[in-house]
Amino acid sequence: MSNRHRTLRNQTLRDPKFEAGLLVVGKDVPRTDAIPKVTGAAQYVADIHMPGMLHAAVLRSPHPHARILSIDTSAARSMPGVKAVVTGEDTAKRKWGAFRPDLYPLAINKVRYVGDEVAAVAAIDPETARAAVDRIVVEYEILPGVFSLDEAMAPGAALVHDDTPGNVAHEFAFERGEVDAGFKASDVIVEGTWDSIRQWHSSLETIGCVAHWSNNRVSMWCNTQTPFLARGRYAIALGVPESQVRVIQTEVGGGFGGKSGDDNGSVIAAILARKAGRPVKLIHTREEEFLASHPRMPMRYWVRLGFSKAGKVLAKEIRMWADNGAYTGKSQAILGAATVRHDALYKYPNARAKSTLLYTNLVPTGAFRGFGNPSADWAVEQAWDLAAEKLNMDVVDLLRLNAVEDGDVSPHNHKITSGELRQCIDKAADLIQWKSKRESKQKNKQSNRGLGMGCSIHVNGRRSFGDWDGSSAIVRINEDGRATIITGEGEIGQGALTVLRQIAAEELGLPYEDVDITRPDTDVHPHSLGALASRVTYVAGNAVKLAATAAHKQLMAAAAEQFKKPVEELTIINGQIGPRKGAESEFKPVSAVVRANIYKRDGEAIVGVGNWDNPSDFPDHSRYGNESGAYNFAAQAVEVEVDRGTGVVELKEISAVVDCGTVIHPSAAQGQVEGAVTQGIGLAMTEYFDWHNGTPTDPQYIDYPLPSAEFVPKIHVAFADSYEPSGPFGAKGLGEIGLDAIPAAIANAIADAVGVRIYQLPITAEKIHRALHPELYADEKVAPAAPPKGGVWTRLATGRPSGTRPFTMELVTPKTVDEAIALYAAGDTAIVSGGMSHALRRERTGFPQAKRLMNVGRIAELLQVGIANGLLHIGAAVNQQTLIELPGLREHWAVLAEALDAAGHTRVRQMTTVGGSVAPLIGGFDMPVALLALNARVVTATAAGRKTWTLAEAFEKRLARDEMVIAIEVDALPARSGSAFHKFLPRGVMETPAANAAATVTLDANGKCIAARLVVGAVSWKPVVPDLASLKGTAFDEARIRAAVQAVRDMAQPLANVRGSAMYKRNMAVEIGARTLIRAWQKAAK
Amino acid sequence: MLIKFTLNGDPAEVHLKSPDRLLVDVLRDDLQLTGTKHGCGIGACGTCTIILDGAPVSSCLQLAAMCDGSHVRTVEGLAEAGALHPVQQAFINKSAMQCGICIPGHVMQCVSLLEKNPNPSDEDIRMSVDGVYCRCTGYVKIIDAYREAIALLKKAGKA
Repeated sequence: MSNRHRTLRNQTLRDPKFEAGLLVVGKDVPRTDAIPKVTGAAQYVADIHMPGMLHAAVLRSPHPHARILSIDTSAARSMPGVKAVVTGEDTAKRKWGAFRPDLYPLAINKVRYVGDEVAAVAAIDPETARAAVDRIVVEYEILPGVFSLDEAMAPGAALVHDDTPGNVAHEFAFERGEVDAGFKASDVIVEGTWDSIRQWHSSLETIGCVAHWSNNRVSMWCNTQTPFLARGRYAIALGVPESQVRVIQTEVGGGFGGKSGDDNGSVIAAILARKAGRPVKLIHTREEEFLASHPRMPMRYWVRLGFSKAGKVLAKEIRMWADNGAYTGKSQAILGAATVRHDALYKYPNARAKSTLLYTNLVPTGAFRGFGNPSADWAVEQAWDLAAEKLNMDVVDLLRLNAVEDGDVSPHNHKITSGELRQCIDKAADLIQWKSKRESKQKNKQSNRGLGMGCSIHVNGRRSFGDWDGSSAIVRINEDGRATIITGEGEIGQGALTVLRQIAAEELGLPYEDVDITRPDTDVHPHSLGALASRVTYVAGNAVKLAATAAHKQLMAAAAEQFKKPVEELTIINGQIGPRKGAESEFKPVSAVVRANIYKRDGEAIVGVGNWDNPSDFPDHSRYGNESGAYNFAAQAVEVEVDRGTGVVELKEISAVVDCGTVIHPSAAQGQVEGAVTQGIGLAMTEYFDWHNGTPTDPQYIDYPLPSAEFVPKIHVAFADSYEPSGPFGAKGLGEIGLDAIPAAIANAIADAVGVRIYQLPITAEKIHRALHPELYADEKVAPAAPPKGGVWTRLATGRPSGTRPFTMELVTPKTVDEAIALYAAGDTAIVSGGMSHALRRERTGFPQAKRLMNVGRIAELLQVGIANGLLHIGAAVNQQTLIELPGLREHWAVLAEALDAAGHTRVRQMTTVGGSVAPLIGGFDMPVALLALNARVVTATAAGRKTWTLAEAFEKRLARDEMVIAIEVDALPARSGSAFHKFLPRGVMETPAANAAATVTLDANGKCIAARLVVGAVSWKPVVPDLASLKGTAFDEARIRAAVQAVRDMAQPLANVRGSAMYKRNMAVEIGARTLIRAWQKAAK
Repeated sequence: MLIKFTLNGDPAEVHLKSPDRLLVDVLRDDLQLTGTKHGCGIGACGTCTIILDGAPVSSCLQLAAMCDGSHVRTVEGLAEAGALHPVQQAFINKSAMQCGICIPGHVMQCVSLLEKNPNPSDEDIRMSVDGVYCRCTGYVKIIDAYREAIALLKKAGKA
């Protein structure tokens, strides 16, 4: 314990067990859910199968705003295998929603965003259900929409909801203290406006439900975080009393707020199941998850801060507008959290704010880990960084000076009872070696490295859904001596089952292994709110602890009766009860005591009940009130290095220190912080879409990559030494806090590194590059946005929204090339080899490539690969993984090996054949770019015979319709050659490159260039090959090489997309081309 | 069409409704082996990773028809006679899971790497983990689990 703790905290507030030393709490016991999760036995909702179960598909609006004129479901209803088709007419026509009911289960009259649910089908299999959805005909009258905050609040803007003037869904304001006087007294004032964006939860398990009606009651197996809250809302949406709905929580494959009972999917499953009279399973596709789940709410956040010369904060003012999307869900509570919460992080004496929630015709937003705080921190934690700069203070000193501490009360009456923020700041700074790195940066201002810090505060439960934020739990001690915890709170991966077992075991004095826990079922469990607001450890932990205390009391009373001794003289040790200081032989197992207490006349089972309510206040409309009984804190420091030539930010390391009171399960707690930090990195740097007509142009992981293992830097996690008197054994929650300040800390580090301040999320390499090199964008002409291409657009445009049709087709497997050529020449045949491109096309367009699939993967000739006499021969059906493992490849064809490294992971290389990557002749693929640099030849065949020609020629003339690629041939480079490949990924994660480049250089004995070749891909419909004649006969000179590569700038014709503007890609084509050529040259010189 | 293959060491036969049915659907729906999870459908997330003829593949992009005659291994085939595979035990020892939906994919990816290369470098491990998304852990504990698995396999004399 820290010294301050010892002196400050009243020791009597501590749990006596904590003081005596804990046995289970604080230990890395095996997770309750571990074995089912590593063996595949865990039952997620998609794994449920019931007799007679039907599969659902949903028809969604293709328009952001439209009036429904008519819906014709007759063709869908008459399809064989279709058992129910429902529209808004089949619903109770009741609006629902957590705070502001504005959402129908299926659209009535109007649709308000692309993805809005219009109709749904239940059929005997998923393919039939989707095919039926495509046959529902809806006539729309398209209405003007509002797609941004500015459009939503413009005078005369289209109204998303006719009954909501100005599109204002919610608004509130407050002034606490003397804000004007505070600013007047300030020596330094900073202000700025920051924008945040939608971020999707992207749980790898999508939202789903299996619903089944029996005896006029519906059972719903849901992957919800909040079974009871879901039950209440679903009952409203279904138009039945709550007790007619039973929600059973399945294993939850990731929640993060996205599965907290705001989705229409579960309600639609229940509506379909009622109509069909059979169980119905509805599982979102990944695309639907992007179109119609409730992502993080974007905000425009203006903030002004005033400080004294010494750095004391004197005043704060906020004006904020938030993009609600088409329906409200929990957004008005998020608005509140994002406005007031931060005021309890530092010692703000005066604060004023006004916040407005605006409807738009975009996907509705909702709860996501952090609940508004990441957007607030994105703005305010950067404003503090600006203030430190202006005050000429180290930001660490400034934050320490103003950090709240025990006993502080915020302007909104938030009471800090355990606040170790300062400790978090100090530890985070130490872990990243803040001081020494700061000093070296002061000495070397030209360094591209920089440090940034951000802090955050979070609640532990929040009084939101009425004047109760409690939990109710039962602990039973069974006749075999084991205990069962009965709680409706639930596991969503955060470790709740494990942590609650630890708390009960500690309180009961039983071994952890002897305590079981049930999974939530609203028919069985006492009322509880579930996993939200970082509340389970703190609120449910207290309820379980009280229930365990009650059960323990009953057990000891029974023992007292049986031992004929007063309770005080008895003790329980490791599942055995006996007299204190008694001999081992005097002890008897708990099981014997319990059994004897039940099996007697008027016997009683041992059942303890615990009810605990968060000691918090229900905030008023202006958000005044202590919303939570305890607050947790975090400080995070980030070190970055910025590549000035590309703008790419490399995260070097991150330290994340959290004050969550007592740490109950250290490795689970670390995991929470590591995962939260990683999601914060994603929010800041990788997770964003291109938008068109109110929807992401390609709602899949292609355009929206999550941070992957290679991208995540070293994360140092530590916990403050802290004890929360109102928490179970001193514990607080920690699920969300690790994310909140990460984007701001990264932005602060970038500002420190290269002086570029980012105000709008996401942080992209392009924004930084533009700020560093405005001259490279001087002649930029922005072309009008091209209509998007991609799965969802293709399907919507062709009237096949669901993207699947049943069809019959054939698969043929020829054994020889001649056989294959004959089959191919017959037409309507698609070559599959890895099979991947066909499956992808099917997934994304809904159509098979052809009536007949021809598997060429069993033709022996096409599987030949080898090196002979300096010639590399690769059969078309050889997969990339086989090629990369070929001995000798890397020594003599380095550029090809590097291209294969870049192509993807083992798994992707395993499924991608050489023929598959070359034959489509796509200039952005890695392999053809490398092969072109090597002047590779391609062997092709038609019924007329075979020919060998250069790949460059093939790119010019293309393949004939019946022409098959048989093999690739590549000569080894001469002596004194070097080659290199570079795939440029501006987001730093595996995806389609913004540019890729391959280079080969051959030098003479004097180091002069004999031959140089550069190929730049992904920036034009075919690879760009500049004339490098000016380099012939020259020695290495970086400036000359860079000048020669300038030709690429005009040759490139890149398209703007989510990976960058056309001008950025043009600049990168030159930069990456030059770097690759230089590297190849340097290798040749070795 | 009828396909025959070896599934977790046992013979398996499936009548495919269509030759372009995907292996993930055949495993989950036709054979009720739901340990393999569906994540994205485009091979990007790695959640559905299984081992086909010794190599990891995305079962969401693998045409089941092309597995005729192959050896398919899924997460259900790892534990033998109730004893966990060392890789599974390693994930437990390191608390390398939260929601768990990606874990079968990570476990299969790890098994396939360590069977091929019992002594991977740190970079090999990171590249292997990089192929499978995890939304919960930030990968730190999963990388720890790989190292633990290497040690457990050595101890068990399996490497």
